[in-house]
Amino acid sequence: MMNTKALPRISTIFILLAAVCLAISLFVPIWQIELNAPQYPEGLALQIWASKIAGDVDIINGLNHYIGMKTLHTKDFIEFTILPYIISAYVVLFLVVAWRRTKKLLNIACAAFILFGVVAMVDFWIWEYNYGHNLDPNAAIKVPGMAYQPPLIGFKQLLNFGAYSIPHIGGWLFVAAGILLLAAMVVARPASKPKLPKNIVAILTLIVVTALSSCGTKGPERVNLNKDACEYCRMTISDGRFAGEIITKKGRVHKFDDIACLLNFEKAQEQSSVKARYVSDFLKNDELIQAAPAWYVATSGIKSPMNGNVAAFASKEAAEAHAAQWKATVETWEQLAHKMNHPHDNPESHHH
Amino acid sequence: MSVNKILAAALCLSVTWFTSCKPKGSGNAVGADAAAKTYVAPGKYDELYNFVSGGFSGQLSVYGIPSGRLLRVIPVFSADPEKGWGYSEETKPMLNTSHGYVPWDDLHHVEMSMTDGVADGKWVFVNGNNTPRLARIDLKTFRTAEIIELPNSAGNHSSPFGTENSEYIVAGTRFSVPPDGDKSDVPIKTYKENFKGHISFVSIDKNTGAMDLAFQLKTPGVNFDLARAGKGKSHDWFFFSCYNTEQANTLLEVNASKRDKDFIMAVNWKKAEEYVKAGKGVKQAVTYAHNTFDEATQTAKSEMKKEVTVLDVAAFPDLVYFIPCPKSPHGCDVDPTGEYIVGSGKLAALLPVFSYDKIQAAIAAKSFEPEKYAGVPVIKYEAALYGEVQKPGLGPLHTEFDGKGNAYTSFFVSSEVVKWNIKDLKVLDRQPTYYSVGHLMIPGGNTKKPYGKYLIAYNKITKDRYLPTGPELSQSAQLYDISGDKMQLILDYPTIGEPHYAQAVPAELIKDKQLKIFDINANKHPYKANGEAEAKVVRQGTTVHVYLTTIRSHLTPDNIEGVQLGDEVYFHVTNLEQDWDVPHGFAIKGANNSELLIMPGETTTLKWVPDRIGVFPIYCTDFCSALHQEMSGYVRVSPKGSNVPITFGLGDK
Repeated sequence: MMNTKALPRISTIFILLAAVCLAISLFVPIWQIELNAPQYPEGLALQIWASKIAGDVDIINGLNHYIGMKTLHTKDFIEFTILPYIISAYVVLFLVVAWRRTKKLLNIACAAFILFGVVAMVDFWIWEYNYGHNLDPNAAIKVPGMAYQPPLIGFKQLLNFGAYSIPHIGGWLFVAAGILLLAAMVVARPASKPKLPKNIVAILTLIVVTALSSCGTKGPERVNLNKDACEYCRMTISDGRFAGEIITKKGRVHKFDDIACLLNFEKAQEQSSVKARYVSDFLKNDELIQAAPAWYVATSGIKSPMNGNVAAFASKEAAEAHAAQWKATVETWEQLAHKMNHPHDNPESHHH
Repeated sequence: MSVNKILAAALCLSVTWFTSCKPKGSGNAVGADAAAKTYVAPGKYDELYNFVSGGFSGQLSVYGIPSGRLLRVIPVFSADPEKGWGYSEETKPMLNTSHGYVPWDDLHHVEMSMTDGVADGKWVFVNGNNTPRLARIDLKTFRTAEIIELPNSAGNHSSPFGTENSEYIVAGTRFSVPPDGDKSDVPIKTYKENFKGHISFVSIDKNTGAMDLAFQLKTPGVNFDLARAGKGKSHDWFFFSCYNTEQANTLLEVNASKRDKDFIMAVNWKKAEEYVKAGKGVKQAVTYAHNTFDEATQTAKSEMKKEVTVLDVAAFPDLVYFIPCPKSPHGCDVDPTGEYIVGSGKLAALLPVFSYDKIQAAIAAKSFEPEKYAGVPVIKYEAALYGEVQKPGLGPLHTEFDGKGNAYTSFFVSSEVVKWNIKDLKVLDRQPTYYSVGHLMIPGGNTKKPYGKYLIAYNKITKDRYLPTGPELSQSAQLYDISGDKMQLILDYPTIGEPHYAQAVPAELIKDKQLKIFDINANKHPYKANGEAEAKVVRQGTTVHVYLTTIRSHLTPDNIEGVQLGDEVYFHVTNLEQDWDVPHGFAIKGANNSELLIMPGETTTLKWVPDRIGVFPIYCTDFCSALHQEMSGYVRVSPKGSNVPITFGLGDK
């Protein structure tokens, strides 16, 4: 039996791998802020390395002056001088842990590394805050109440620029190093505590997924009237009573200006990848409800943007009330979808 | 190991999440039936003529709409070797200015002549931004007929905009400068005291189109950007957008962007006309060129004018008013009824709409700010304002109208066109442009009766739209169908650089008035050769005049001898053809000049100073016939003092 304070071989390998990850991160970009605007369809990227800012810094600095943002220069950041040393120190620390192979040292290294991660992110946020808020009062374009702080992680619209902040290779290597360290700890737990690893794994998974997927939301994504375009007919969605939305299994969101467009879009797909379907409640402006349980009235009396002429209602009573008014019938989603996908089954238009 | 697998899976999952929540690019929002809407079959005509400024090319381009086909580039301010414009002796005077021959300018805006507030298809007026000039293009010949220089001006940007019957075409100076003359040598930092704006009112003869600088308004030293005349009830008024009301003279991008509001300047031009008639103007000695192309002699002449009448607006209390407008207004557009004036503050987050009636009421009630601006009353913002379009987009520039109560504004920064209702000021639709739209244009969208079926956006940036062509990419135009509730992008085509403003009219207004040939009997050119019998070579000292004719497929004469080194040779080429679409070209080896392109019945002159002895081929450059390649000849050049006599001939004659 091995000394219980000593680390198993597999832990050592993990720790060594973590050290390798960190060492590589010195030579690749750690973080990236991608900027997209209509006139920059190819996008602009700002890359943060351990020792410098790179990417389209000059172009971004040129653009920032319109809104009075300070220009970015590597030399203005003390971080870029000390960060390579700190990372190198962690590499050395990990190597020491791998050499000494004690749990205590591993715990210390792990805690120190997490602390480093937190401090680094806080520092990053503070810089973003300062750059986004300390604007030149003489800026040409001043939008009241507007600040230009890029997101720490995820997406944010800043005037005409969409800013998308995400770890680059180095950042992911950091995450990998952290996970390797934790894994090293997990596999080094004595066998007498079998439950813990599962819990840790579950919690870790949860943390990672929640943290990283913070920008993904549940339920339908709001239709931005007069802004979003219909996925099928490419026209701007402007009538909040007739919009629709499909969320695919991959999480893609497709929006439509008319239920007819939604159905046509689905029909054109080679195989269905639809996870959820939403339609606008006719009685509310721009409020999406689940398509399947809703009630539908289809009649030419309704004028919808692409002539689908279908109104959706959350309650059967409301649907019936309106159906009576238009002298039409109430249908379920299935009936409606079948009818609209197979128009020639309609006896009135059958000429065979 | 399973632990690691789960972690890896979690990581993968989160990466996927990341990439999926990033918004997609603007993509290509072209309408499904676009091809059918823009297809003009071979042999069919387009529905509209579209006259588009050529920006820094100095020329005016003509497109067919809806096909987007380039029909012609009309040379205006820039020499054009393709057509011999600015190279032939007849056209050189057109590019003359008080600074001498200026063979280039920056053509920004287009204004068609109007009758009763609607384009009448007679002439197109365009501005030269750099060396301030106005030009008139005759739509019978699609040629530049007249160019007038503007004194006391610099950066002729707020130009050319016309009144409802083209009584006047105005030209406002973008750069205020010290007025021309002996006192114009002043320190630049004395801007506020010494720099002035000048608005030129150029009157247009209703029958001939002849331009005359009737008078100028001397204004405070601000930058004039764009302008529009009133319509209907606001007929007597003109509105000009002004920026740099800070009166900065350096680092304007910062120093001219400080004030929250600049101005729209409202001018009662009828009053100005009365004051000038009553002799209230001051005569100022200036020098400016006035160039006209005489169709009879087919020759331009350049005349230097020496005087202009100036009204100082601060001296006439009821002539000019400033209306505050947020922030650095660019476009200043009047709706078809003449009631609403839209100011597009390019740095503003909203779009103000002013009311003509409220402006009149404010003037009557003297709802002015307590302090005048440089001696000019400033109407209270709220007193002139009809309302504001809230959050319309970023960087509004220009607005046109569809005649159905809707306005369409271009947004440079957010690269979109936004449709909004003039009455309730609500945004109705917005469509992306690709990318950074400047001007937009609705056929007749500036007139009382917009045609209203199409909208064209003129874009500055076209990255990723067309096959790349090195560092410089083409600019573009994008055609939208605006006949429905939604704007629908139906065509995207490159343009010559750089399109600013444009106007369009139904083809019927122009196409049947086209001159097909010049009547050779009406040709009064002094060096015309009336038929091959008159073709000859005449020596006058060291000047040699060649009276040369062209007809399919020979030059007469085609063998010329007796030219000597040190001679100046003038080839006066008369195209004897009297058939449509049969121009001939003419060129000679080694000429420091361009070719000539001579229309049927026309005489055009190329100057050639031979630099060496030898034999020099001459030939027709425009593929005219099956025997075009045979349409050539030789000119022999002998040493100075040679005893080779002048001889010329064709065949055995």
